[in-house]
Amino acid sequence: MAAAIANPSVSIQDLSLNFGVMSVLKTLNLDVAEGEFIVLLGPSGCGKSTLLNCIAGLLDISEGRIFIKGKNVTWEEPKDRGIGMVFQSYALYPQMTVEKNLSFGLRVAGVPKDEIAKRIARAAEILQIEPLLQRKPSALSGGQRQRVAIGRALVRDVDVFLFDEPLSNLDAKLRSELRVEIKLLHRRLQNTMIYVTHDQIEAMTLADRIAVMKGGVIQQLDAPQTIYNRPVNRFVAGFLGSPAMNFLKGELEAGDVPVFKADGISVPLGRYAFDGDNGRAARPCIFGIRPEHIALGDAAKAMPFTAESTVEIVDPMGSDTLVWTKLGGQIVSFRVEADKMLSNGDAIRIGFDPARASLFDAQSDSRL
Amino acid sequence: MAEIAASVPAQANALRRDAAGPSGTKPRHVLSRRNIFLYGTLIMVALYYLLPLYVMVVTSLKGMPEIRLGNIFSPPLEITFEPWVKAWSQACTGLNCDGLSRGFWNSVRITVPSVLLSIAIASVNGYALANWRFKGADTFFIILIVGAFIPYQVMIYPIVIILREIGIYGTLTGLVIVHSIFGMPILTLLFRNYFTSMPEELFRAARVDGAGFWGIYLRIMLPMSMPIFVVAIILQVTGIWNDFLFGVVYTRPDTYPMTVQLNNIVNSVQGVKEYNVNMAATILTGLVPLIVYFVSGKLFVRGIAAGAVKG
Repeated sequence: MAAAIANPSVSIQDLSLNFGVMSVLKTLNLDVAEGEFIVLLGPSGCGKSTLLNCIAGLLDISEGRIFIKGKNVTWEEPKDRGIGMVFQSYALYPQMTVEKNLSFGLRVAGVPKDEIAKRIARAAEILQIEPLLQRKPSALSGGQRQRVAIGRALVRDVDVFLFDEPLSNLDAKLRSELRVEIKLLHRRLQNTMIYVTHDQIEAMTLADRIAVMKGGVIQQLDAPQTIYNRPVNRFVAGFLGSPAMNFLKGELEAGDVPVFKADGISVPLGRYAFDGDNGRAARPCIFGIRPEHIALGDAAKAMPFTAESTVEIVDPMGSDTLVWTKLGGQIVSFRVEADKMLSNGDAIRIGFDPARASLFDAQSDSRL
Repeated sequence: MAEIAASVPAQANALRRDAAGPSGTKPRHVLSRRNIFLYGTLIMVALYYLLPLYVMVVTSLKGMPEIRLGNIFSPPLEITFEPWVKAWSQACTGLNCDGLSRGFWNSVRITVPSVLLSIAIASVNGYALANWRFKGADTFFIILIVGAFIPYQVMIYPIVIILREIGIYGTLTGLVIVHSIFGMPILTLLFRNYFTSMPEELFRAARVDGAGFWGIYLRIMLPMSMPIFVVAIILQVTGIWNDFLFGVVYTRPDTYPMTVQLNNIVNSVQGVKEYNVNMAATILTGLVPLIVYFVSGKLFVRGIAAGAVKG
């Protein structure tokens, strides 16, 4: 965990939310630094959107406190929290033009007309939607609609932006385009942004820090690289990364150099960075290695651990190829360049560096 | 190998060009057996439904001597609008002999405020139930819906007493209130279902934008819900205009609505039965709902499809 943040832009303290007897969020704590881009990542039903709605004030929480810019906003109305929100379905008012959509919040708040015009002009310039201002939302494409929705948050001149899966309704090409735009927008505005998604690529590319959630609990909150390289438990390890991390069941044998043993293989873990004294005690464990960290052929020989195997299935994916084989009697996949010609049944040599692996306790699933 | 591969597309092409098979638009058979059966049935049913209306129109345009001949289906030999004029401005009901015109204006004065009041209240009800899930909302909704299933007759006498105690029994105000109350369950259900079908995120976006209960209702929801308002207006206009029971119970002869007056004209037992006047009076009374349907038929169907069936 990162050190405590001195002046958090958003601070969530011991937040719980229950719907009847069902507990959706469980004593959750989260501090977001000024200008930070936080991504809440998790499978559907993990409570990430619910948490965002709590921050926005659209859901009344059961327990805990929420601070935005040092002000306790736990019981404040959404409009008084200094937030702007972008929704998955855009949620543009269909009967209003783009301009009226952008100005609605300002008109409700009674902002003077020339000030409204100024802010709309700025937002339209930033998002390049000036030619669309007089159109109705129904005459816009998906990407344009989402840009207007971002604009609606922009004109409110707020401290914190909340994004609720803003790109999920767009096709793959538009999604990556708008992803870059959101990143540029964040760099330009330097606002605090909290972004909910189930897409790990969005999370990895956009976030300063990712909060991986499951069952209403934040599993790990860290920089994308840390989460990718040192996942705290098996859930985080399996959720991030595509194709997914390989997991091998086996035993940890303690000793001067701890060894991971599975059917027919033993991997020396001298180079693996254990958490504290975890390497001292023998126990059943799970060995995780990402497909991109397994090397083939000559490259494998240079690795601290190598093994002989045969190719089971070859999955060409265009940019690279995924090869399925067996290691220690268990199925393992690894990535090779697309020009490597392999076919089923080929004898191969694979290898990896245990320092890049992740080891989890078989019972608790947490990192060793 | 290469030869065979080359000849396959060539063969396919030849096939496509030479064969005189079907191409282009499918020809239509206007007088197919299916069409004759379909349109035949529809025309029969339409005639069956229109026949009584035809008899009414035809009879209302005849003079009494011609009616006495008994040929109710034959068109009038001599068209006269006398019965229409009489029905509108001269027919006697009780002490008043100014025809249906009095009842028409009474009905207008009953229908317009009742429709506006009931729709105004019910739409806000439905909006609150759909979007602002207040505590006890479900219980409230169930009670309201149960209200729709209680027979009116049970409540007639208690309401008479209530209106009497308030001091508005026999006035148009009293009847307007009664109509508004009885329209509430079905209209609230209609509006609630419509608002529930609207995207939740729109409501949330408006809240983040700072709009309150009335702001969201008036500026976001209302402009988006014209179809359901049209449905509600049609339901209420026809329902209240055609009402007889409440009209006869809660008003006095001076303030009788058109339907009650029509009944009094048609069912009067004194003197000669003027069938032509009765027919003209009935058509006049039914004209308002009829016009409403003709003008808004399409909107009505669209609105029903949009909101009422869902949920």
